[in-house]
Amino acid sequence: MNLLDRAEEVRFQFKKDLFKVKIDIQSVENFRLRYLGKKGYIPALFREFTSLSVEDKHKCGKILNQIKKESENSIDTLKQRLNSIGIDEDFFDYTLPGKLPRLGHLHPVTQTMNEICSIFREMGFGIEFGPEVETDYYNFQALNFPKNHPARDMQDTFFIGDSILLRTHTSPIQIRAMEKQKPPIRILAPGRVYRNEAISARSFCTFHQVEGLYVDENVTFCELKGTLEIFAKRYFGKDVKLRFRPSYFPFTEPSAEVDISCFICGGSGCRVCKHTGWLEILGCGMVDPNVFISVGIDPEKYTGYAFGMGPDRIAMLKYGIDDIRLFFEGDIRFLNQF
Amino acid sequence: MIVNTKWLEKYIDIPYSPEELEEHLTYIGLESKIQKSPVDKIRGVIIAEVLDVSPHPNADRLSICKVSTGFDMQDVVCGAPNVAKGQKVPLALLGTVLPNGMELKPVKIRGINSEGMICAEDELGISSDHSGIMVLDEKAPLGMELSEYLSGEGTSIDIDLTPNRPDCTSHIGVAREISILTQGELKIPEIKFKESEESTEDYIDVEIENIDGCPRYAARVIKNVKIAPSPQWLINHLKSVGIRSINNIVDASSFVLMETGQPLHTFDYRKIEGKKIVVRNAEEGELVETLDGIKRALSKDILLICDAKHPVAIAGVMGLSNSEITPETKDILIESAYFSSTTIRNGSKYLGLSTEASYRFERGVDPEGIINAVNRITDIIIELAGGKVCKGIVDKYPKKISPAEVKVRFKRINRLIGIDIEKSWVKEIFEKLGCRILKSDDESVQVLSPTWRPDLEREADYIEEVIRIYGMHKIPSAKRLQIKPSNEVNSRYDLIEKLRSILCSYGYFEVFNNSLVSEKQTQFTFKPVKPVKLRNPLSLDMAYLRTSLIPGLINTARRNINRRNCDLQIFELGFIQYFDPDSETHAMEILKFSVLITGAIEDEHWGYQIRKSDVFILKGVIEDLTHRFGIESLKFEKCKNNYFRHLLGTNINGKEFCYLGQINQEYLQSEWSIEVPIYVLDANASVLLDQAKFEIRYKPLPIYPAIERDVSILLPEKIPIEEVNQKIIREGGELLREVKFYDLYYGKNVDNGLKSITFNLVFQVADRTLKDKEVDKRMLAIHEVLKNDLNAKLR
Repeated sequence: MNLLDRAEEVRFQFKKDLFKVKIDIQSVENFRLRYLGKKGYIPALFREFTSLSVEDKHKCGKILNQIKKESENSIDTLKQRLNSIGIDEDFFDYTLPGKLPRLGHLHPVTQTMNEICSIFREMGFGIEFGPEVETDYYNFQALNFPKNHPARDMQDTFFIGDSILLRTHTSPIQIRAMEKQKPPIRILAPGRVYRNEAISARSFCTFHQVEGLYVDENVTFCELKGTLEIFAKRYFGKDVKLRFRPSYFPFTEPSAEVDISCFICGGSGCRVCKHTGWLEILGCGMVDPNVFISVGIDPEKYTGYAFGMGPDRIAMLKYGIDDIRLFFEGDIRFLNQF
Repeated sequence: MIVNTKWLEKYIDIPYSPEELEEHLTYIGLESKIQKSPVDKIRGVIIAEVLDVSPHPNADRLSICKVSTGFDMQDVVCGAPNVAKGQKVPLALLGTVLPNGMELKPVKIRGINSEGMICAEDELGISSDHSGIMVLDEKAPLGMELSEYLSGEGTSIDIDLTPNRPDCTSHIGVAREISILTQGELKIPEIKFKESEESTEDYIDVEIENIDGCPRYAARVIKNVKIAPSPQWLINHLKSVGIRSINNIVDASSFVLMETGQPLHTFDYRKIEGKKIVVRNAEEGELVETLDGIKRALSKDILLICDAKHPVAIAGVMGLSNSEITPETKDILIESAYFSSTTIRNGSKYLGLSTEASYRFERGVDPEGIINAVNRITDIIIELAGGKVCKGIVDKYPKKISPAEVKVRFKRINRLIGIDIEKSWVKEIFEKLGCRILKSDDESVQVLSPTWRPDLEREADYIEEVIRIYGMHKIPSAKRLQIKPSNEVNSRYDLIEKLRSILCSYGYFEVFNNSLVSEKQTQFTFKPVKPVKLRNPLSLDMAYLRTSLIPGLINTARRNINRRNCDLQIFELGFIQYFDPDSETHAMEILKFSVLITGAIEDEHWGYQIRKSDVFILKGVIEDLTHRFGIESLKFEKCKNNYFRHLLGTNINGKEFCYLGQINQEYLQSEWSIEVPIYVLDANASVLLDQAKFEIRYKPLPIYPAIERDVSILLPEKIPIEEVNQKIIREGGELLREVKFYDLYYGKNVDNGLKSITFNLVFQVADRTLKDKEVDKRMLAIHEVLKNDLNAKLR
């Protein structure tokens, strides 16, 4: 069956040459002649075919015809391409639209979280996760939220059982990390959190947080300010200004809220910053000694800072999105923009 | 908490503009926002006097008013019932644009020309009151712009108080904070009233049954008061902080509440039976009617104020209607008490009722401010309503509330903040805050907190005060950070992000769906599970935690399809939860990722053909994905599930990993009204991440040529391709490097019950050039086996 082998070889060679053919009239014609012309390879195979036995003819005929058909089709395609380019060999319609590579999109909040995490990771923070279904102990008590304290009203909670709930912040991850690791501890805690608040353009029952914690000997408020300043300048641009003002969180003392100068108006006042020139972006403070005590870290020996921010809110500010629900609707025309 | 600058100035000189005050307060932790009055922006509304009112000839409800602005006189048609001769009123002149956008033009109303409008509060954007025109104080100067006139009433500032600062729930409290900033002196109002001969003790006795809930209770009786409307100054003061005037007695207690932060309650003394107040817990289910006219059932943890027979108030929350002050009230009983914050908070939560009083008790009032508050309200009542003050106060204080004594170490302050702070300055600030310095030396200072600052209990609380008053904005940022990279590396995050980015590289869009779903959606699972239910959901549609990511994806697909985005490739990565089958309370939490595709998987483009979604695209996704995580040769099995038309499942090392298939069209139609086919993949991300292996060993590239052959056969339709594949691999032996299935054809030229398939085989070995003969031998063997074992026909 040497003929079959040769036929396969011709087919193989044809496929290889096909890719090398230049798309101009002369080259295409030369290529056609080489394979299908009177003296071409394929008619030569057919000439040989005539001398085979009936049995062999039966075996080979189909294959040879198939090869001939394939080759003719390929050359037709080449000719069509030639026509579409035009008779004028130099004409090339460069205005035809390109074929865009089709890549997906990460959710804008994922992108924001990743950007935040990567800046803090460069500074040396590791990343920890924790469960969304939490206990009252990890979500509140260990974080110095006493039972029946008005501070609990700051975070409306979904309950599953008497002391089982959906975490209202990612701070329980900090407690879990401090139980597990010994200082120095530097972790980031990203994740989804839940608040039992009416759904509106400004609030959704689930959103995200990225929190950070650094515990070591001699961690100071100055260090916290320095760290957050680097973050803000890296994330919002090096001209951004920060404003720290005292606030209250049960798990830090002192506590502060941090505003950045509005990056839309540069601080002169606009609709986004409600004409204050400032945007509130994160909360922070020095870890409360009671929190250290609940995880068995000596508050006399160690100090620490913690901070937390909402990537949903930051993404909204950054991209000018005025309705948080868009993040959870999955409209691809929305997602396609990021 | 709203404060008014004019009111604050009673207690402290304010050298700041309202805007400066807003900023200064914010910087010391009282986040402030000036309440912009809509009137500020109005020009052309001026104060006028109504000179004359006559009925409109053609309309019963209208009147024609002659008004004077001092420099002009005009006729205005007015429909308000309360307009009267002699009133000072806001008059909108022609050409003025009101906050609601209305522009005043000369109009004829039922045949009479009207040249302006007398405004009601709602028309000026001040309130929603449209019951009548706004009537101003009779001393209001004619012709003055209303905005200018009202600015004399001070600026109201809304303070978003943090729960640790009960002391700032009053004007004096905020004034004290300002005094620290300005070094000014706090002016506390003097008490002037004189007591009569009759003793309060003869009129009232107080008995406290629950001394933990009520450590202190003080009462006084004032006889023969005259209930009347409040004077304008009091109405204006209360209005500036958002409180509606009721009568002189009730307003006096609101005023003292806003001044001192101490909630007071006034009872009609004649409705108190047995000259007695008893503070006790309610009985379970006890029914009372509160001042707002609502009947409420109480729990046994709620504290009640009772007379000898009946309850008269819910302690610290609201009085009851049976003892309310009415226009007929003659003698009054004043209550000033300290209730425990937990008790009041529980009661307020249980009843779903939050009041100015409960807001303050929950945070903790000043136990030593109680007597002063009684005296202050007495003074005001005597001034406004007359009456005789009974001698003395019945003051029951069975459980002393003592302020904390704390040692604050200077070293600790500096160590936590990171800069050295002057010791003398620290002591000065503590004194300014109202602390008593008991002892101090070079190392530390021993302080006793003021009774109005229950939040100052520990050293840390004092350090916070230091930094707060020093100014966080003045503390320098560390220029060189001491933080060093952590060696506790958790690679989970990187793996998750790798997974996300690979899915993204396939062209899929990441979506986020709500984790809270309806009960029905929790049933979409591959095996029955017990879903996690919320006790207090926002709505029934969001009463459970999701047990699968798929319903969320289908919902998102439906929303997109309805908006004519019909070609979708979307995925979500997130947690699902359900109860551990072995435990009723422990929720399992599993990291999943799911993919949904429908419609075309490519954008339309000239010169290219579009491919449609199908199951094999998802099969390819999971094969490639696992390959990238170092997991090879997945085995798929056919599975059954009512939500699916075709369903495949696969494991990794015996762990259930992934299902994929086409959703049952009837289900899509009936449950989601979706007509088009939808394909989904549901995978356990944890299994993938746990089993991932990234040990890549390089294989040398072949140096000897390969020989390619095709196997084209006709095969009975029902024989799976994988079976053919296995036979080819076995017969191809060590020479066969690769088998690729590349053509499947039914129909024309292929008999019924058969399919035409083609494999491409690549033969190659690492150490030599293969000979045709060797390959021929293998090909023959393959053909034989396919013919004999599978009944295949060569083409």
